[in-house]
Amino acid sequence: METELKKIGGGFSVSRVWTMAAATVTQLVRMRILVFLVVLSAIVVAAGFMFPVFSAEQQLKMLKYVSFGALQFFSLVLAIVATALLLPKDIEDRTLYTILSKPVPRVEYLLGKFFGVMLLIGGGLLLMDVLLCAVLHLRQSLVLAQELAFLKQGHATAEELAVEAARIEAQGVGWSLQIGVLAVFLKAGVVTALALMISCFASSTLFTVITTFCVCIIGQGQELIREFFFHRTFDAAGEKIASGLFAVLVPDLRLFDVIDQVVAGDEVAGGAALFMTGAGLLYMAGYLVVAHLLFVEKEL
Amino acid sequence: MMEAATETSANRALDAVTVTGLTKVFKSGLTKRAFVAVRDLSLTVKAGEVYGLIGPNGSGKSTTMKVILGLLAPTAGETRIFGRDSREVTSRSEVGFLPENPYFYKHLTGLETLLFYGRLCGLSGARLKERAAEMLALTDLEDAAGRRVGGFSKGMLQRLGLAQALIHEPRLVVLDEPTAGVDPAGSRKIRDLILSFRERGLTVLVTSHLLEQMQEVCDRVGIMAHGVMVKEGRLEDLIAVQNQTELVLENVDEALLGRIRELVAASGDGARVVRTGSPRTTLERLFLESTDESGKGEK
Repeated sequence: METELKKIGGGFSVSRVWTMAAATVTQLVRMRILVFLVVLSAIVVAAGFMFPVFSAEQQLKMLKYVSFGALQFFSLVLAIVATALLLPKDIEDRTLYTILSKPVPRVEYLLGKFFGVMLLIGGGLLLMDVLLCAVLHLRQSLVLAQELAFLKQGHATAEELAVEAARIEAQGVGWSLQIGVLAVFLKAGVVTALALMISCFASSTLFTVITTFCVCIIGQGQELIREFFFHRTFDAAGEKIASGLFAVLVPDLRLFDVIDQVVAGDEVAGGAALFMTGAGLLYMAGYLVVAHLLFVEKEL
Repeated sequence: MMEAATETSANRALDAVTVTGLTKVFKSGLTKRAFVAVRDLSLTVKAGEVYGLIGPNGSGKSTTMKVILGLLAPTAGETRIFGRDSREVTSRSEVGFLPENPYFYKHLTGLETLLFYGRLCGLSGARLKERAAEMLALTDLEDAAGRRVGGFSKGMLQRLGLAQALIHEPRLVVLDEPTAGVDPAGSRKIRDLILSFRERGLTVLVTSHLLEQMQEVCDRVGIMAHGVMVKEGRLEDLIAVQNQTELVLENVDEALLGRIRELVAASGDGARVVRTGSPRTTLERLFLESTDESGKGEK
């Protein structure tokens, strides 16, 4: 046992983070979160057979539009609500006492919770992504066949058929669709880290949910705030500081809005995807560092 | 002088818990009004003993425990576990903690809960499974291993709490009100476990409102009130009435009692018989005997 105890060091342990993350996933899954996923997946499938009056291209665009809406809804609700629940519940139930009275550094506890939520969101998005790709592929094949048959009846030339086929295929499964899913995941990651940071000083779950939700709304217009900060001459120092803090603390969620491009069937440039990934990871790291600084000082 | 210092330092390393000049002030509300929960507290829990910290609600017992466990930072002073500062995460590798009215993740089963806490302590594989099984057996929870914790009774939760506290074979066990809200049968099981810890050489730091139980299990006690230690020492010394002697006799008739009284009266020097009568059993013992308690009350 002595040798085993020696292994329980104060250093960072990936295995303890994984234990916390796995427990968080189990906790959320057993809270019947997956029912929510099933309902949203049903919406994705249903979207594949809706809008029959639209043109072939429009039908596929609407399918992607509705599906991405479901993906965003699933990930953001989970990111805000599930994260806001975790920490206060552990404090209220005193589960946190039994965990932190073990040789578990607080940073590992926080990371475990964060990665647990991210695993669940990632897993859910992956499932919905697979479903979306399958439905989109099926729907695309169907509308393509219908459209080509219709054009052939109208004696369209081979060139016209090829153009139409290319137009419909551009709306199908492709890399930009996956980049769109990645953007949803990264945005959810930023919101999860933000919610975790807020819950480290919040007095209730409701406060965390409302505050994170408000910050997310402001985050959609963060670019405007930044513009205001950098291009305006301030009369008062207080106003300058407040605007600066806003611009730094509120994430620029517009960075992750590539959905319109993906729905339109446009390619998302690799550079833009890389920039989005880097910015997302930076935001997450920043919020987690602040969350740790707040949590490490928290009196339990 | 140097030798004395070395000896003191060696003794401190042997002590399971040392609290030196601990003060804890909470600041709350917008005005940040200060509330002193613990004031200049010093105590030592020696390795292998059962130390009881008692006192009324709000006397600072739980705050002291939380500081010892590193859950709260001291405002002044320091606490050490086997010589290591409580603020160091490594100091907790030797400690098992059972909080008052513990709750665990309701979605986990009894066994999953123990595996979870075991993994947090660095255990894994066959050793972890073995320890979890041992702890379930020790706390009489084998039948509940596959049940979700959400359906456990208070007594079972308390025993599960003890099992998780012991999963990594700590040298120190800290128990905050371990029998709070538990029925007499469950309470007795916990008391017996505490006694078995002492036999196995574990150090126990325990708080409880049930003074009779504390009297049965503790080697030493500290009495706290208003954040300060008002009395501390060996239980036997603290509760003994120094100028009285107890003599318990069996199968004695009135004639012999009369002769004893005469002898005492004749001895002079102020000696007198204060009280005679039949010793009484405790209500707890009566309850347990009446309900035919045999350790199977709760499964």
